[in-house]
Amino acid sequence: MKKLLAAALLLAAGTAAWAYVDDALSFAYEAATPYVKRGFNVREDAWGGDLGVQDKQAVKAQLFKGNEYWFCLGTDVKRAVLSVNVYDSKGQLVNAEATRPGQLTAVRIAPQRTGTYYAIVTILKSPEERTGWALVYAYKAK
Amino acid sequence: MKTPKLPPTAAAILAAAATIGLLAAQQGPETIDLEAFPAQSIDEVVVPVPSEVFVVLDKLGNPNWRRELRGSLGKQTTNRAQVALLLGTVIAEGFVAVEAEDPERVKEIGRRVLSLSKAINVEKAVLERANSITDKAEAKDWQAVRKEFDGALQDVKGAMQELGDDELAQLVSVGGWIRGTEVLTSIVNKTFTADGAELLHQPALLEFFSDKLSGLSNRRLANDALVLDIRRMLDRIEPLIGDGDGAGITPEGVKRIHRLTGEMVGKITLQGT
Repeated sequence: MKKLLAAALLLAAGTAAWAYVDDALSFAYEAATPYVKRGFNVREDAWGGDLGVQDKQAVKAQLFKGNEYWFCLGTDVKRAVLSVNVYDSKGQLVNAEATRPGQLTAVRIAPQRTGTYYAIVTILKSPEERTGWALVYAYKAK
Repeated sequence: MKTPKLPPTAAAILAAAATIGLLAAQQGPETIDLEAFPAQSIDEVVVPVPSEVFVVLDKLGNPNWRRELRGSLGKQTTNRAQVALLLGTVIAEGFVAVEAEDPERVKEIGRRVLSLSKAINVEKAVLERANSITDKAEAKDWQAVRKEFDGALQDVKGAMQELGDDELAQLVSVGGWIRGTEVLTSIVNKTFTADGAELLHQPALLEFFSDKLSGLSNRRLANDALVLDIRRMLDRIEPLIGDGDGAGITPEGVKRIHRLTGEMVGKITLQGT
């Protein structure tokens, strides 16, 4: 699975694959919009790809105690239901707050420790065989 | 930075969510076995921007950011590895200048980002950012300047990857991390606290950078003296960043990391420490 930056290369190559990733990214940014209004800074780097129904993808992140984060997930596939949950390096769920799974969904993390965390993206339902997704994160000091 | 625009479908979803109060817990299991994930199902870590750490430091104390600014942004050579690493340090310096709220320094850094980008053929990708950095620094819109530096980093890396220079792009990240860590350790050293020191607990990043540098396919890059020095530096830092929970980072360890990263910044900028 490649990050979105790599997906940008597909755009340069003029492939159709970029289209769904780009659309998914715009939805991920939309999922982040409410938090931007609350003072969170959205990172320009992002993760993304495509998954089948019930497939999972883990994305690794370095998070810092003292910050709050919103991980915001989106897809352009209508009626798709996606979820994102964040775990620490021991596999313990660390979600502090979350929206319901859906086409847009987000989870807030307030790390108790600085270190490595894993955001698990799951396609719970989708009318498509493969569902493009994109994940961005926003941060601010607590 | 991509400008968010609200697609009609997204607007409808958000409106519906707000209406029926969907802010509820997701149904993720309380624990998972991370070992069960095959390697291809775990994406690489996204390298944090320096300000993700700096905003925490602001809360822990009252750092004198101006004192953390380097006197000079360094010299560039015709060695592309050195230029990429230097570009990373200069962008990191931009985040320090933003924390210091120094508009002249920020504008100087914006110009330097442009000249370094030109040296590695990605000037076009950051021209708009550089201009925006200048405009927003003049307006003292620091949050916007921070976003522009974040965007500049992504634009430079993206442009390098389009040119087939993925490995050089990694060096930009590495350079930024080294300078960011030098500043972090400088501040933590001044008023040591366990919370401050814990910010250095970055095992995934160290592993990521070590893997990238040890796996360089471009022989010229792989054998570059700076790259070899950085690999050795990462090996020396790894035992100093604490145990599994980030505990056990000592004042001596912080000083050691500061010395290692400071020496490396000196080599990258061709200025010594």
